[in-house]
Amino acid sequence: MNFCVCIKQVPDVSAPIQVRGGELVMDAGRVVLNAYDASAIEEALVLTEEHGGEVDVLLIGPERATETIRKALAMGAARGTHLVVPEEAELDSAAVSALLARHLEGKGYDVIATGKQAQDTDAGLAGSMLAERLGLPYATNAVGLAVEDDVLVVTRQGDGGQEVIALPTPCLVTCSNDMNDPRIPKLKGVMAAKKKPVETVAVDEVPAASVRVLRYEPVPQREPGETIEGEPAEQAAEVVRRLHEASVL
Amino acid sequence: MPTILSFVALSNGQLTRASLEVLTRCRALAAEQGADLAAVVLAPNAGAAGAAAEAAQRYGAQTVYTVADPAFEHALNAPVLQALEAVIEKAQPSLVAFPSTEGVKDVLGALAVRTGGAVVADVAEFEMKDGGVEALRPVMAAKFLARTRAEAAAGTPVLVSVRSGSYVAEESPVAGTVEAVALESRRPQQTLREVVAGVAGGVDLADARVVVAAGRGVKDDAARRLVEELAEVTGAAIGASRAVVETGMFPATAQIGQTGKVVSPEVYFAVGVSGAIQHVAGMSNSRIIVAVNNNADAPIFDVATYGLVGDLYEVLPALIAEIKNSSA
Repeated sequence: MNFCVCIKQVPDVSAPIQVRGGELVMDAGRVVLNAYDASAIEEALVLTEEHGGEVDVLLIGPERATETIRKALAMGAARGTHLVVPEEAELDSAAVSALLARHLEGKGYDVIATGKQAQDTDAGLAGSMLAERLGLPYATNAVGLAVEDDVLVVTRQGDGGQEVIALPTPCLVTCSNDMNDPRIPKLKGVMAAKKKPVETVAVDEVPAASVRVLRYEPVPQREPGETIEGEPAEQAAEVVRRLHEASVL
Repeated sequence: MPTILSFVALSNGQLTRASLEVLTRCRALAAEQGADLAAVVLAPNAGAAGAAAEAAQRYGAQTVYTVADPAFEHALNAPVLQALEAVIEKAQPSLVAFPSTEGVKDVLGALAVRTGGAVVADVAEFEMKDGGVEALRPVMAAKFLARTRAEAAAGTPVLVSVRSGSYVAEESPVAGTVEAVALESRRPQQTLREVVAGVAGGVDLADARVVVAAGRGVKDDAARRLVEELAEVTGAAIGASRAVVETGMFPATAQIGQTGKVVSPEVYFAVGVSGAIQHVAGMSNSRIIVAVNNNADAPIFDVATYGLVGDLYEVLPALIAEIKNSSA
């Protein structure tokens, strides 16, 4: 079974970030492979190791994002494709999925996998958009994958529990980061990755965005609370009294 | 007259609180825009659809589109997409708003492509402005809000999904019409093998009035039993931070935070929860937050209404006893 995993380079959200004049400022400028996409790669690698097939990766991003493709190749992906867009290109989920669809049309992958969302925007839209554009059955928020002949069995986290869904291939799945711990590339993998093929395709026309960020703002803080002092019994009595006062118990 | 369409979701046969919050918000927007307010409900049978339609009318839906089909017994995305596409085709709304549930996240992007509209997911606030929709949504692991503008092509809707607790649900009954829309039978490609229910006791976390959430401080069975007991005496649903879900002590369905569920109960007990920003993103809309943690410097105390610094093995039994006494 052959997989194509769509990946994204994202700012490291654990690095210091500030808002200045409505813009995000990341002094460190650290970028990483989106963690949800890393889980999708890991799962695809495990399944192809077990059942045969290869894992390719596909990325949309500026020139510098090539390093993220190398990271995926170092994990064990076979080859990469980089759809190169200008650094300042404004891409919304619809534009990303349109570019991915244009490239994937007719490529014949059995499974297209991607993270359930990107860590920077947390929108979670591109996956199902891509499935719809390609006319593929899909499932989102997978926490487990298995292959049975030409069927992908997806365990997804739903609202009230986990749903086990059988998808005939070709299909698309978006992955949670709760399904595995993505492997850390070893030196051998990093060396091998340098020799693996990466095709770069210049995107000359980026679809117009229908959704734009006007500005970034700090998150409003809650009213400061108070510390309830005393022995546990005293703390409990005081809090319970206040909860009764607020008529919430 | 333009139409605003509000998707209302069912849980155990009832409209969820988050759905009613979104419907109430849409009612205000409809009044402001001089638009009609419509609702859409997908239900497994006509009885459930009818009951849901009545409930939606109590919250001001002038037209309720119902699609009753056994396909909605369980959540497979293909029939949901098909039904929503049909209703949008009929209602021709300029805005379609959804509660941001896992079921909605599953179809929102695909529905936007299918209807040709624009889409903004998981917003904390939204308004209609100059022919588009402006919304505030958390980004960068909920460290910041992005003020976002969506504009759909003429004749197509803007789709918006809304985080629970962003608005307050208020009744405002109207005598409206109910329009049943048939689901064309189409053999879905996907099949559902089974549903593994995750939440014991049946209190839906996203809808609960009281939530008791366990964090990394809940390390052993004794601590877990205390969490369960506090939940029992307060009638709460049990939640958990990502850290403690990863230990396997609590199911993934209990996970609260940026990548889990967003909850907004009247009271949120945070037990041994450190208060990482990703967790806080899922609970900061709670009315009252009571935090129990032995580390006085834990960031959870920055958002807590009442902070109890102490050992959970001592504080929780005291709380449980006090609540039992006070309600006896």
